[in-house]
Amino acid sequence: MPVDHSFLDSTVLSRLMGLPLNARRPMIGNASGRHRSPVKGSSIEFAQYRQYVPGDDTRRLDWRTWGRSDRFYIKEFEADTNLRLALIVDASGSMGFGPPQATRLDYGRKLAGTLAYLAAQQGDAVGLWGVGKDHRQKIPAKRGAAHLGVALNQLGGLRAQGGTTLLESLHEAAEQIRQRALVAVISDFFVPPLTLRHALQHLLFRRHDIALFHLLDPVELTFDFDRPARFVDMEGGDSLLIDPSLVARRYREVVKKYLTELDEVIRTTGVDYHRVRLGEPYEEVLARFLLSRLRSGGGRRSY
Amino acid sequence: MSFLQPLLLLGLPLALAPVIIHLIHQLRRRQIPWAAMMFLLAAQRMHKGLSKLRQYLILALRMLAVAALILVIGRPLAGGLLGLTGGAPDSVIVLLDRSASMEQKLLSTGTSKRVAALHNLTEAIEEAYGARSKLTLIDSATLEPTAIENAKVLPDLPQTGPTDTAADVPALMQAGLDFITANRTGRTDLWLVSDLRQAGWNVGGGRWKALREALASLEGVRLHLLAYSESPEADLGIVVEKTARRETADGAELLIDLRIRRSEPVSEPLTVPVRVVVNGLGSALDAVLQGDEVLLQAQAIPIDGNTKRGWGRVELPADANPADNVFHFVFGEPPPLKSVIVSEAEEVAVPLQAALSAAADPARSYDCAVLPPGRAAEIVWDETSLVVWQAPIPPAESAAATQLEAQVRAGRALLFLPPETPGQEPFEGVRWGNWRAADGAEPLLPEWWRTDAGLLAHTRAGTALPAGELEVQRWCELVGEGVPLARFGEDADRAPLLLRTSRESQSGAYFLTTWPGPGASSLARDGVVLFALLHRALQDGSASLGNAVQREAAAGSLGDDPSDWTRVDLDDPALVSSIDRPLQSGVLERAGASGDTAMLVALNRAPDEDAPQVVARSSLEEMFDGLDWRLHERTLENEKSLTNEVWRTFLMIMAAALILEALLCMPGRSPKESRSPMELWKEAA
Repeated sequence: MPVDHSFLDSTVLSRLMGLPLNARRPMIGNASGRHRSPVKGSSIEFAQYRQYVPGDDTRRLDWRTWGRSDRFYIKEFEADTNLRLALIVDASGSMGFGPPQATRLDYGRKLAGTLAYLAAQQGDAVGLWGVGKDHRQKIPAKRGAAHLGVALNQLGGLRAQGGTTLLESLHEAAEQIRQRALVAVISDFFVPPLTLRHALQHLLFRRHDIALFHLLDPVELTFDFDRPARFVDMEGGDSLLIDPSLVARRYREVVKKYLTELDEVIRTTGVDYHRVRLGEPYEEVLARFLLSRLRSGGGRRSY
Repeated sequence: MSFLQPLLLLGLPLALAPVIIHLIHQLRRRQIPWAAMMFLLAAQRMHKGLSKLRQYLILALRMLAVAALILVIGRPLAGGLLGLTGGAPDSVIVLLDRSASMEQKLLSTGTSKRVAALHNLTEAIEEAYGARSKLTLIDSATLEPTAIENAKVLPDLPQTGPTDTAADVPALMQAGLDFITANRTGRTDLWLVSDLRQAGWNVGGGRWKALREALASLEGVRLHLLAYSESPEADLGIVVEKTARRETADGAELLIDLRIRRSEPVSEPLTVPVRVVVNGLGSALDAVLQGDEVLLQAQAIPIDGNTKRGWGRVELPADANPADNVFHFVFGEPPPLKSVIVSEAEEVAVPLQAALSAAADPARSYDCAVLPPGRAAEIVWDETSLVVWQAPIPPAESAAATQLEAQVRAGRALLFLPPETPGQEPFEGVRWGNWRAADGAEPLLPEWWRTDAGLLAHTRAGTALPAGELEVQRWCELVGEGVPLARFGEDADRAPLLLRTSRESQSGAYFLTTWPGPGASSLARDGVVLFALLHRALQDGSASLGNAVQREAAAGSLGDDPSDWTRVDLDDPALVSSIDRPLQSGVLERAGASGDTAMLVALNRAPDEDAPQVVARSSLEEMFDGLDWRLHERTLENEKSLTNEVWRTFLMIMAAALILEALLCMPGRSPKESRSPMELWKEAA
């Protein structure tokens, strides 16, 4: 079966290749990489001194310190490890919003695919969680070009349908991704912000680095319709006959309240949050994302 | 509420169109796949109650607008103050006052009260009732009901034309009531058109109580009183009180007594030109009016010496009330003043006969006969000006009673004196009661008597009769209602001394409650009062005798067949139909039988028609208390229709409904002080 990888744009990839994908927290990888590790390793970057305990490798004794203090100290260096990128892509019915070939899911696919490619290029492991009521596809994070191909294939095959299982999936991910990872969630987050907070705290408890890509269409914010219409729930719920002239003001108030609450959740949890307007070039969104991580110093600069 | 285009109301179900369109739209709305349902649900939940209410309000306003539009097209009519609401009744009866006073005109337009009322009423009936109600006209002149096919012809009917008759509103109401009762008219609107003149309404009369009770007992009868009660300003009226022919050295002259009245007194002497026409030849004289009245006595108009009888009229310049600007008169050989005393007591008859035999006017002959009651049949009724009946009142339907009634009806005089043994028979509702005597030794004196008119009025020179000096020892009580002309004081329970059975002057029978002789009163001893009383009655009674008489215009004033009479004061007598001849003022002649002289009659308005006093609103409310009635007051200047087209009101309702609907449909404003979602978006971005 031919796999469509059209969501990957080589031009964008080549332009973003220069920006590293850094984690904002130390990662525990299974291979040497460019990301800081919580354990000490053998990189060239000094970390700390600690007193010698029996069993330590005597080759790491700092003789100069012994000479000055007559005590044995072990000189420790930062360890470099690789990153586990867990991409959680919402594939519920609401992700199908938008014109054909330019739906929210299509947009999310571009973001996720590009991130996956960039991570793989710098030797990180890439995993994919496609979440929706009708499908749950979990590809564990692994390194290697072949695995990237599998992940991209799965990403290309996602279809927006059914109700959302985002919250359940986030909790599930928190439980199942045992090692620290950069969890990038791409969704419309049409869930109550307070419930989202619990899911995020669950992930944070597992010491994951969390990045949220909140995809919204402007019309979903402004509700800019002029004539009454029947609004059909894309996730299979009831339809509503709505006169926009009567409801629009209340709608905007509800949206505003939602965004305010969501901002509060982001502020308290400290997750990396990116509100994305559909129609915005995804390259800019990713560049902004990568640059912000670069500036925050979460990753080791390894130029 | 009624409509000029009621068929268009069939379109009223179209008011449901907004609901139907709304339902269709609900089924045919475009569908939009929507992701952010959680916001929409929350917004709708917050807005649900108000939204539903607003939606229902919008629908209701749209329906109201459509309904109002259809009602506008239907041209709704509102009675407004008229109270023409409630739909068309089964019958509409118009009671029209055609009296002379209804001819009061608005000088600028020449429209009389009668014409204005007819036009207004015609329009109202056409618009409010259409052809749905059976229309009947009863006019005050004939009291005959006339079925009307179409209200439009109402102003052109002969039965609604002008007359110089007097109004008898209670009789008019009674005619309407009789028609309703006889024809079972169902739901009926009774329209009484009147100028509310007191003289025609006779508010104090006993008939109103019976009328009110009868009307109250009828189901579904609604009374509308269309009143034109305004009085004319500076209106002059003229009356000829007396005419007499006198031989002179040059031939002859006609002596006329004229009375000119003005509705409002003048502050400075006012010269009023009067035109006098005698046998077709006109002359003029000036009368100087001071105050509100002037009496011109014995105005001499020269006539041909060979003219023994003739006719004429006096005319005033035109003013707001043309009906009282002309007065017709006739003159001729005066008839002998014949009187008959029917008495059972000689002591009563003697002073009466003495008074009646004495000549008050030397130029006329007097003849008085005394007959016992058993010989009453010998009376030559047609030639007798006065009958004095001092005997028990004959039973109703007896020959004597019938003759007495005919005597009164013909305008001749009838004076009852109490018999020694009063019976129970009434005459025109009045009967004798018991004899009473004055308490103690002091005789009773009359406390009050009418001085402006009637048998005891002041003399023409203004001198009062010495009626207050009369001493009465015995009198007989009266049972029944009449018009007192003199009465005793509290000592005698205000019992009448002299009473007339009819409210109309110079008609009806008189009741004198005492005898002239000793032991009863001092009438015979102080003969002035008795003489004046008897001779005035005799004079009044003679007015209808002879071959040149004055009469008031009324339905029966020319007898049973008015076609026998011809108008002699008009160049073209055919201008006046035989039906209208007895109703309009003028001079008429009836050819006599072979050898007899032709009869001349001058018909004029009743003197009461000149009295401008109107019935007060409070009196009307008292009279119609408990009835379903409405007063619609109009003036000649007030052209306001009885019905109003109220489509403008509905148009405004429609406009208001549409504006409200638009306001409700307007989207609400977002609060400016808070940030919009897009602002939040930009901030986050």
